Amino acid sequence: MGKQVDLLQGTLDMLILKAVSLGPLHGYGVLLRILQISGEQLEIQQGSLYPALYRLEHQGWINSEWGESENHRKAKFYRLTAAGRRQLQSETDKWNRLAAVMVGIMSTKPEEI
Amino acid sequence: MSRLARLRSWWKWMAKRQQLESDMDTELSFHIKSHAEELVRRGVPEEEAIRQARIALGFIESHKDAMRASVGLRWWDELGIDVRYAARMLGKNPTFTLVIVLTLGLSIGANSAIFSVIDGVLLKPLPYPRAQQLARVFYRSTTYEKFPLNPWDFLDFRARNRSFESLAMYMHADLQLSGMGSDPVKLSAFRVSSGYFRVLGVQPARGREFDFSEERPGNANVVILSDRVWRNQFGRAADILGRKVLLDSRPYTVVGVMPVGVNHPGNSYNSIAYGDTVDAWTPFPFEGDSNNRGSHYVEGIGRLKPGVTVEQAAADFNGIMTQLASQYEGDRGWTIYLVPLFQEIVGSVHKMLLVLLGAVGLVLLIACVNAANLLLARAAARQKEIAVRAALGAWRGRLLRQMLTESLLISLLGGALGVLLAIAGVRALVSFLPVGFPRTDAIHVNAFVLLFTVLVALATGVVFGLVPAVQASRTDPMQRLREGGRGSSGAAGQTRLRAILVVGEVGLACLLLVGAGVMLRSFVNLLRLDPGFRPQHVLTAEIALPSANYKTADNVAGFYQRLLGNLSALPGVHAVGAGTDLPWTGYDENMGGFTIEGKTPPPHEEFHARYHTASSEYFRAVSIPLLRGRFFNDQDSKDGPRVLLINDVMARRYWPGEDAVGKRITFDDKPKDSDWFRVVGVVGDVKDVPRSKAAEAAFWWPVLQVPLMSMNMAIVLRADSDPVLLTDALRTKVRELDPSLAVAHVRLLDRIAEEQFSTPRFALFLVGLFAALALLLAAIGIYGVISYSVSQRMPEFGMRVALGASSWNLLKMVMKQGVLLAVIGVAIGLGCALILGGILENLLFGVSARDPLTLIAVGAIAIVTATLASLPSARRAIAADPITCLRAE
Repeated sequence: MGKQVDLLQGTLDMLILKAVSLGPLHGYGVLLRILQISGEQLEIQQGSLYPALYRLEHQGWINSEWGESENHRKAKFYRLTAAGRRQLQSETDKWNRLAAVMVGIMSTKPEEI
Repeated sequence: MSRLARLRSWWKWMAKRQQLESDMDTELSFHIKSHAEELVRRGVPEEEAIRQARIALGFIESHKDAMRASVGLRWWDELGIDVRYAARMLGKNPTFTLVIVLTLGLSIGANSAIFSVIDGVLLKPLPYPRAQQLARVFYRSTTYEKFPLNPWDFLDFRARNRSFESLAMYMHADLQLSGMGSDPVKLSAFRVSSGYFRVLGVQPARGREFDFSEERPGNANVVILSDRVWRNQFGRAADILGRKVLLDSRPYTVVGVMPVGVNHPGNSYNSIAYGDTVDAWTPFPFEGDSNNRGSHYVEGIGRLKPGVTVEQAAADFNGIMTQLASQYEGDRGWTIYLVPLFQEIVGSVHKMLLVLLGAVGLVLLIACVNAANLLLARAAARQKEIAVRAALGAWRGRLLRQMLTESLLISLLGGALGVLLAIAGVRALVSFLPVGFPRTDAIHVNAFVLLFTVLVALATGVVFGLVPAVQASRTDPMQRLREGGRGSSGAAGQTRLRAILVVGEVGLACLLLVGAGVMLRSFVNLLRLDPGFRPQHVLTAEIALPSANYKTADNVAGFYQRLLGNLSALPGVHAVGAGTDLPWTGYDENMGGFTIEGKTPPPHEEFHARYHTASSEYFRAVSIPLLRGRFFNDQDSKDGPRVLLINDVMARRYWPGEDAVGKRITFDDKPKDSDWFRVVGVVGDVKDVPRSKAAEAAFWWPVLQVPLMSMNMAIVLRADSDPVLLTDALRTKVRELDPSLAVAHVRLLDRIAEEQFSTPRFALFLVGLFAALALLLAAIGIYGVISYSVSQRMPEFGMRVALGASSWNLLKMVMKQGVLLAVIGVAIGLGCALILGGILENLLFGVSARDPLTLIAVGAIAIVTATLASLPSARRAIAADPITCLRAE
């Protein structure tokens, strides 16, 4: 049980970092951006979004600033920090390696053994 | 990097809790509004849109909780809740809290106070730069463990050794400062070789140190003053250097002023830093015959070269000693004993302090056990509450943490109380320290001591909190709730645990009681000892005659004769005498060598004894008894035949089985007949200090025949009534004879004698105090356990009463329980005392640390205490009312 949550959490963190790396976003915007860039494939649990944002800010990977939203409300905007950019890069590399390995494994045919 | 970022973020939100809360609210409500607006755009009615947005977001409070946890605040919040809860629980039961906090506070405070003494005396380095390189140099023979140096030997050591950076010697030689327009002042002064200050690593604040040329006779009339003398006697005169001052009525040139706080390294008898109590230093003039190696009266100190050990240096010195011994008769039979200065200074109290720390540590341990015991008792009463919390989903770690928070809160309260007690207690402790205790000025409650206290308090909290906490968190909620909180089944294990704790308490208390008991017996032994003199009603004072004005032995003897004559004529004076040494004040390690008529010393041995000078009435004034022969009388004049008084030890050592009276000794290598001194009497022995194993051999010259001039003498006045009333008369009589003389160190002999008991009294008082505290704690423990057990068994007692048990039967049942705990505890405690007894052996006088009488007495005290502690509970058991008890069931 615990392991799965960890994996999900890690993925969520990566998605958020990727989303804000494309430009400053408020929390709701992060939700929409992930939905958009995933081609409406991934919908994030709204409740887990905010603790994740706070955790990432706590780690120093993103920082936040109050500003005005497109609908003229006071909103908190998150942007990637230099440390966050490095973190995103290393997570991306890790993910790509894992994905490549997984693809290799999953496409193995009986005669290749 | 990331850790720093986390810490910064945690700290930011810790400081801005309010902002965090409002930020979260604004952010989440913005989310809901934005989501709702989008839904409205898709055609959902506004109210419905807000409802859906809320549902999509979920339970806001739980998100906020997760967000707080994300920035590391949850642990902190829970701690706050735990602390508040713990404080509430403690407040609910003030007696319980008060007892634990008070007992812990007392023991933590006592630990901190003793630790601050240890820190100042044993842990802080000596007040000299690179002090670990300093070592004291002594001679050693088969008879003497530590013996002073001969000055000519010192010069050879200084020239030939390869182990010391620098080597110096010094001797105590007080001076009289006069010509200042007021009464003459006695200065505590030392004669030192050049390089003395270089060895210590201190430099004059003004001027310079002595150089080698000033060690030559005739050049030695220069002086270095202490800061205090410069301040008090010369008003900080800027032109002090080069000024001529009158010391012992002779002009000396001031060449230096030392800075504040130059500590004296101590000499053999007063092996204690005098603090900055030395007033002046003058050069030691090397004069006379350099072949005379027999007399020993200077102290050696040196600074080892880096990396050279004391053992290597001693080997080096012993090599030189062998060369010297082949050259000089007087240097045979000696080896060199080097001891690090630190060990020399604190060695005498090292063991006592560690014993005190051990004792006070035991008290703390008992207080911990006691606290654990009380917490266990309370945990029993709180089983239901804990069961409910466990049933409501509190996980075990959380319960454990909450219980530990309580015990840590208690121990920190105790620690705070302890710090206050320590700050107040250290001052009292220092003022109560034995006379001559080393380094008292270094004892303070400082940051290090406070850190020690906090650590001790935290450790205490964990130690006494862990067992009850683990016990409580193990609670099975189902079972406890079913039992309705009366907890009879699990209570058996707990009662056993508490009984074990009480047995431990009793055992530890017994250990301390045995320590206190044997120290008490040792102290009584010391007090009962016949001192060899009678210190009551005796006034003493010291007078030093300046050699410039008293050039001949006749001058000196004449002065003392006239003064003693005048004093004895005073009303109320029983006897008055003068002597170079007072009993029990220590000696400047003098040991005269001599030749006994018709005897040759065994190889590598010399005839030695302490030498003193005394007037004819000295012995009557101090009440040292005459055993054989006669005291000095008027015939023992300058021209009369040479005579001596010796003590019993000397008579037995050198004339065993013979009558020493009439025998002759001499101090000359080639004596004429007139150089022989005849023993005319044998007097009783007085030990150097009361705890000495035995008295040293000693002899006395009469004032008029002493071969050395005795410039400094102590006046002893035995009065018919209160001797203090004679103080003014004494000063007047001295002034009448010579107004330039200072009457110094006016003291009562019984006060001097009393100071000799201050060290054992100090140790006894503290260990006794700790033992009493331990006994009290053990009694509280026994009371607690028996009281709890009685309240558990009340229905049983009610039943017994109903069935006709007599009060006596019930009383016996309850008391037996308490006494049984005590008996097991006593057995363990006395067993430990037998094993650990060796630790105290050196601190005791005339009693073994395993003294059977003490062991029996301690056992009896512990068992009686246990009986008394179980009495209130036993009375409650007797009063059991069958109806009430059975109805409660």
